[in-house]
Parts: sequence; C-alpha cells; structure tokens
Amino acid sequence: MAAQPRELQLEQPNYLTSERGIYSWLTTVDHKRVAVLYGIASLFFMLVGGIEAMLIRTQLAVPNNTFLSADMYNQMFTMHGTTMIFMVIMPIELGFFANFMIPLEIGARDVAFPRINALSFWVFLSGALFMNMGWFGSVLPDAGWFGYANLTERPYSSGINVDLWDIGLLILGISTLLSGLNFFVTIVNLRAPGMTFMRMPMFMWAMLVTTILILLAFPCLTVGLIFLFLDRFVDTHFYRTAVGATPILWQHLFWLFGHPEVYIMALPAFGMMSEIIPVFARKPLFGYAGMAYSLVLIAFLSYGVWGHHMFATGMGPVADSTFTITTMLIAIPTGIKIFSWIATVWGGSLRMKSAFLFGFAAVLEFTLGGLSGIMHAAVPIDLQQTDTYFVVAHFHYVLFGGMMFAILGAFYYWWPKITGRMLNDTVGKWQFWLTIIGFNGTFFPMHFLGVWGMPRRIYTYPPGMGWTFWNGFETGCAYLLFIAFVIFAINIISSLFIGEKAEADPWDGRTLEWSVPSPPPAYNFESIPTARGRDAFWIDKYGVIVDEHGHGAPAYGETSGAGAAAVEHHEHGGHGPVHMPAPSLYPLLFALALVLGAAGAMMNWIRIDILAGLFLFFSIIGMAFEYADHGEERPHADPPTYHGIDHRKAGMWAFLGSECVFFASLISTYMVYKPRNVGPGAEVLNIPLTSFSTFILLMSSFLMVLALAATQRGDRKWSSIWLFGTAFFGLIFLGGQVYEFTTLFLDEHLSMQGNIFGQTFYTLVGTHGCHVAIGVIWLLVLAVASLGGRVGKSRALSVEIAGLYWHFVDVVWILIFTLIYLMRTVKNA
Amino acid sequence: MSENAAVAEHPTGHPGPALYAIIAVFLVILTLMELTVYYVAALQPVLVPILILLAIAKFLLVGGFYMHLYYDPKIFSIFFIFPLILACFIGAALLMIFSALATRLAV
Repeated sequence: MAAQPRELQLEQPNYLTSERGIYSWLTTVDHKRVAVLYGIASLFFMLVGGIEAMLIRTQLAVPNNTFLSADMYNQMFTMHGTTMIFMVIMPIELGFFANFMIPLEIGARDVAFPRINALSFWVFLSGALFMNMGWFGSVLPDAGWFGYANLTERPYSSGINVDLWDIGLLILGISTLLSGLNFFVTIVNLRAPGMTFMRMPMFMWAMLVTTILILLAFPCLTVGLIFLFLDRFVDTHFYRTAVGATPILWQHLFWLFGHPEVYIMALPAFGMMSEIIPVFARKPLFGYAGMAYSLVLIAFLSYGVWGHHMFATGMGPVADSTFTITTMLIAIPTGIKIFSWIATVWGGSLRMKSAFLFGFAAVLEFTLGGLSGIMHAAVPIDLQQTDTYFVVAHFHYVLFGGMMFAILGAFYYWWPKITGRMLNDTVGKWQFWLTIIGFNGTFFPMHFLGVWGMPRRIYTYPPGMGWTFWNGFETGCAYLLFIAFVIFAINIISSLFIGEKAEADPWDGRTLEWSVPSPPPAYNFESIPTARGRDAFWIDKYGVIVDEHGHGAPAYGETSGAGAAAVEHHEHGGHGPVHMPAPSLYPLLFALALVLGAAGAMMNWIRIDILAGLFLFFSIIGMAFEYADHGEERPHADPPTYHGIDHRKAGMWAFLGSECVFFASLISTYMVYKPRNVGPGAEVLNIPLTSFSTFILLMSSFLMVLALAATQRGDRKWSSIWLFGTAFFGLIFLGGQVYEFTTLFLDEHLSMQGNIFGQTFYTLVGTHGCHVAIGVIWLLVLAVASLGGRVGKSRALSVEIAGLYWHFVDVVWILIFTLIYLMRTVKNA
Repeated sequence: MSENAAVAEHPTGHPGPALYAIIAVFLVILTLMELTVYYVAALQPVLVPILILLAIAKFLLVGGFYMHLYYDPKIFSIFFIFPLILACFIGAALLMIFSALATRLAV
C-alpha cells in the first residue's frame, strides 16, 4: 500500500470538495477534514450526553420518582459526566476547533503529524463507541465519572460496567495524548516565519499550554487506570485495603490528572473567548502579555491544587493548608484574564452578534463558577459543601458556563470559515437567550439546594425536605436548555443547505485564518505567510508601522488599507504544486485493532487479543513504511521549521517528557506502598542478577550510539551490526527479567496478588520491561530495514529517534535499579 | 574499524565513538561504585544520598551525551527537564502526604 505525497495544484477547490466519496473521509489526513470528523462525532455525543442529562433531570423533577431505577440513574450520571468531558468538550475544543484552526492561525499547511492526527480521531471514536457499548444490555459505567475506588473494584462492581469505563478511558487517553503531542509540536515547530511566541494569537497560546497539560497530566490517569485494570482482571489490590493498600491512592492519581484536566478544558475556552471578544469589540486584546503569562501560571499552579478535591479524606493540616494556598493563588492569573476581557470590551465598538454574546457571557458565567470555586479553597466551607449540589452547581458554572458558552460562541465565530456558510444570527440570539435562562435556571438554584443539604448522586429524595420546588424548577429550565440546543441543531443543519454564503473575512478578523477563502483550500495557504506583527491579518488589512524589531502596534480603527506589508508570503512553496501528505487507511485499521484488543481483554478472548496485537503491529509497520521516502530528510521539499528542529525529534522529546510523569506515578506508588507491605518484600530481590542486567542495558545504550554514529556516516554494515547488537543486549536484559520473575514467583512465592510489594514491584518493573520489549522490536525492524538499505545516511534521524527512546528506557532503569534494588533495605525511602 | 577514531565533531554536532566509549567506561565505573556502596557495611548510614548522587551522575551522562542533550538545541532540554522536575514534585508530594497520613494514623 505504498502511497506517495499528493501534489495539489493551487487552483483546486476547497478542502470539502477537493476529494469526494466515503473512502476519502475514511483515509483523510487533512487536518480540516479530520476536524470535521471530530466535529460530527462530538456533536453526536453532545446529543447523547444531553439526553442523559434530561433523563437525570426528569428523574429528579419530583420526589420519590420511579422514572429511572437507582441503577439506571447511576449509569446516566456516570455517562453524562464522562461523555460531556471526554467525548464532547475536549474533542470539540481540541479535535474540532483547535485541529482546524491551529495550522490556519500559525500559517501552516497542516499539523506536524497528519497521520497521527487521523489516528487520534479514529482511536477517539473507537474508545467512545467502546464505552457506549454498554447501552446494549443496560451495562453502562455506573461508578461516577471520577470512578472512586473501591466502588470500582470487582467485589463492588462485578459487571462489565466499570470495565467499559476503565478500558474506554485508556483508549480515549491514547487519543488525547496523540493529539496533545501533535499540536504541541505543530505550534512549536510550524509557526510561519516572523510569528514569534509573543505574536501568536491568544488561542494558540491557550492551545500550546493545553497540550503541555495534556502531556503531563494524562499519564497519572493512565497509571491509575492500569492499576484499576489489574485490580479487576488480575486480582491485585492497588485500591483495596486487604493487603495494606488504600483507595485514597486512586483519588490522588485521579485528581493529579483531574485538576489539570479542568484547565485542559478551560484554557482552550479562554483562548476562544480571547479571539472572539476583541474582534467584536473592534479593539486589540487588552494585556496580551499578561494574558499569555497568566495562561502559563494557571497551568503551572494547576499541578499543585489537586488536593482541594480531597479535603474530606483528611490529608492533615499541612497538606490542607498547602492546597488551600495554591488554590487561592490560582485565582490571581484567572482574575487577570477576567479583567483583561472586561477591559477589552470597555470602550469598544461592540457588535452584538451571537458569537460575541456567547463569548462574553462565558466570561460572566465562568466568573460565577470561579467565585464558588474559591469558596472550596477554604477547608471548613469545603467540608460542608463536599458531595452536595453546591459542587454540582459550581462545576456546571465552570464547565457549561465557561466552556460550553465559549464553544457555542466559537461555533458562531468559526462556522463560516469551516463550512463556508453563515449561521443565522437571529436564530442564534434566540438560542442565546434561551440558553442563558435555561442554564441559570437549571444550575443556580443548585447552590441553594446544596447549602440546604441535598447530596449529589442520589437518584431520588423524599418530599418534605424543602427540595421539591427547586428540583421541579430546575427540571423545567433544563428542558428550556434542551430546546435551545434543538434550535442550535436546526441552525447548523439548515445553514449547510440554505445558509448565507460566507466571505473569507465576514467578521473583519485579526488572525491569519481569515486571510484564506471560506472554506479554505486543502493546502490552506498558497504560499507560507510571513507575520510581521501580532494580529497579523489585521495589520495586513489596515496597515501598521512596524519597527525594526517587528514590535509595531496594530493600527486599530484605521481603514486606509495601506498595509499589506505585515503578512508577506514566504517564497517557499512558490506557486507551483503543493506537497501534501497522502491519505492513509492505517490509522483506521489501528483503531479497529485497538478496540478489538480492548474487547478481547475485557472478555478474556486470548485469540482475539493475539489477532488484535498482530493487526496493531502491522498497522504501525504499515504507517512507518507507507511513504517511499518516509524518514528521509528533504531540506528542499519540506518547509523549514521555526526552530530548525525536526518534528519527529521534537515529538519524541515531548513524548519522553510525558513518560517521565508516567514512570514517576509508578515509582511513587511503589515507594508510597513500600512501608505498608506485609510479607516478602524487597529483601528477596536478586542484586547480582540485576547488577548484571544493569550492566547489559548500559552497554546496549553504548551500542545504540555506535549504531547512530555508523548510520550518520552512511556505514550500512556497522549500522546493522550495532542495531542488532543493541536489540540482542535488550533481549538478554529481558531474559534476565523473565528469569528473575520466575524465580521470585516459584522460589519466593512472590505473586501479584499475595502482597503489596509483589503487585507494585511486578507492575513497575514489568512496565519497564514492556518498554524494553517495544524498544527491541523497534530496533529489530530498523536493523532489518538497514540491512535492506532502507535506513541510510539520509534517514539517520529514524535511528536517532529510536535511540532516544532506548536511552530513556535506560535512564529509567538507572532509577529503578537504585530506588528499588539498591535501596531495598531502606524501609521508608 | 572506523569506530576507533578519536573524538571528533560529527557533522550533526554529535560526538564521535571514542567519547561514547569513554562515557560507557564511566557508566560501568559508577555502577561498580554503586555496588560497592551497597555491599560495604560502613557506608550504610550514607547509602541513600550516595546512591542518589551516583544515579544522578549516570542519568546526566546518558542524557547529556548518549541522548545528546549537551549538544542539541536547548529546546530539547526544556522539553525534558521541565517534566522531570514535575515528576520529582509529584513523587515528593505523594511521599510526604502518605508519610504524614501514616504518622497520624500511627498516633
């Protein structure tokens, strides 16, 4: 299935019509088409999540209601939360808007890794559908979107409900990580010439920071989910008190991910608001630098506030005080943003379009959610509000008030660019006011209900509690909100057929996406633009005095049209054919294999898992060698990157950064649980054997760099020899690990189930071993390819990237060898 | 064979095989030092700090020379070091929280 990059002629039609047929959509790698796929899927899941919400509200409309059973209610609120977070808000923000807009706003033709982009979508879709399989047989996940242990353990949730949730989230996590990595490298590497960080649109700043959060937060969730998987399928006790473990560990791992996750959803919304508000206020964004720095500060602080979700667990006064302070601190950068948006509007020539109404309403509604959030920083108040409807009110003001309003604003703002059609603004205003009334009517009274003691997650309540009126009122308003979304659906569907055709720049925009036709051509830009200032397209339209440092202030309000100097078009690419990546079926095949493997794991179908594993392997190999010139450095064919670094190398380093957090979570768990162990512990470890293994692994790193040096010299023979040698040493290491595990199991009776040391040791060291095994396979493929002449000097980077992975595995082992083996006698490491 | 060439700047800016070999020797020496520290009873009181220092030294050698962080653009170091610091922070925070919890439960 060798495919070649397409050569698109510049007179080709827009991205929607440049190719036709279902197959073109199944194999597309164009970021705009992938974004549209994300959009369709996310809107479908928005409908699903909305129906779940309406079922919840209908059940709570009156006391002692029997509309839903308790079990079905549990399934509905679990899936509502999970769906809205992982299948609606995140994919709409990241997969739909960011995917579409990142290359357009930074002046690029596509994302850094187009096929990985397609892979992200298909993996997302397969994970979302996998989790929703529970609709058949009413076995949807039912332990809450936070999945608190030990409710999720097999003895308390014996069905496949939690299995679907656990494995489904693992799959969705892979998709999100791939997207995060892809967009991170795209923004770092593919910015147009002249687009410094401080000239990027604020949405790009938001996405850059969001991708960092994704890369560094999701590994904690992944580790937590792996532990849960092992508890449910291998009968370990990571979250059971039986052998000294504690369910609190799950809460730490989950909220280490969960609070940054709030900002993974919030920051793109902040970026959207920062794009929409200045355009409709006809003013530059107030305090650009402060806005950018506050994004970074929010992200930084978001890793230090997870404990405020856990005050009720009794972490102790020191931890409580620390998390109180950090939670209050995070209000400062958030406040900077809120005041900057207000200052942007202040004195502006406001155009009350639907996009602006939603965008600015997001500021106001989010502020309400933020204020109730600050209350939770105070431990005494938090303890009163925990697990009440006050918290439900708070996070809906944040997630719906802040994010969904911004998303709706972004729909009205960017829809013309995406589809080439305008949404009806009058209908939009009807939707806006219905949404305002419905949303506030539904969620504001929940503050009162919470304070009056109504617990969250109860499926019904008795009369006479003082909750009846407001619950009925909220349900009525929820139906109003649902009607608002029906109007929205009618608006977007009808716009596709009868909507007014959109101009390239219908809003008098500031950023580069408005400089291309609506909808954009497949190649985005005829030639790569050069940005000479912030708000590059505005400067282009209206002119600006640019100083020698490129720090010219945009001339807002001027309409001379004398500009055209700010956005120059880079000569690269010229006006000849544009090289675009070829379509690929492998991402879809990979996703199918993944979901097949997930089903096999859940149902214990070993043969299916083997088949899925083979499919996965061949999909990866297929993707790796799909292009005849894959991996070849083509300095004259590829546009130069902003920092002059290769995408793949940047991507590998970003991935390794993510892996640091992954292994930190694993190692931390081992060390946290070590003092709690009862029975055989680290004293049974075989130091001489592992010392030899360590020596072997270190020497394999040496062989690896020799392989790289040989490849860079063009010495094919020695390149292959060293690559085979590295893989061979890796196999020796793995053999040692198999021997060690076997003797520990047979002679020392150390099992995964027996005690806390066994489960943490086997999981940590085994996970590292899996990384080594993947590395060995990778090296063998490279070695064989090198023998066949497919890895020459021009593809040395392929060897270098494999080497980075291999050395990383080596440095992780250096830490494991020290912390687990050599410090085995230290009780409280 | 050409691997025996002296340390020379490669066109990529990476070191040559000779320096890689020297690093390998240092890695072996550091590992032997770790084992010595582990087996010598007199050093048990300072086992943890010494082992951590030796592990950091090995980490820096592999990261700096084999992974070329010392030679490549600094942006790669930023990509790696910031998450590394965060990872250390997460580990330290969890250890402190659970340690405090254990102390309180013991009391």
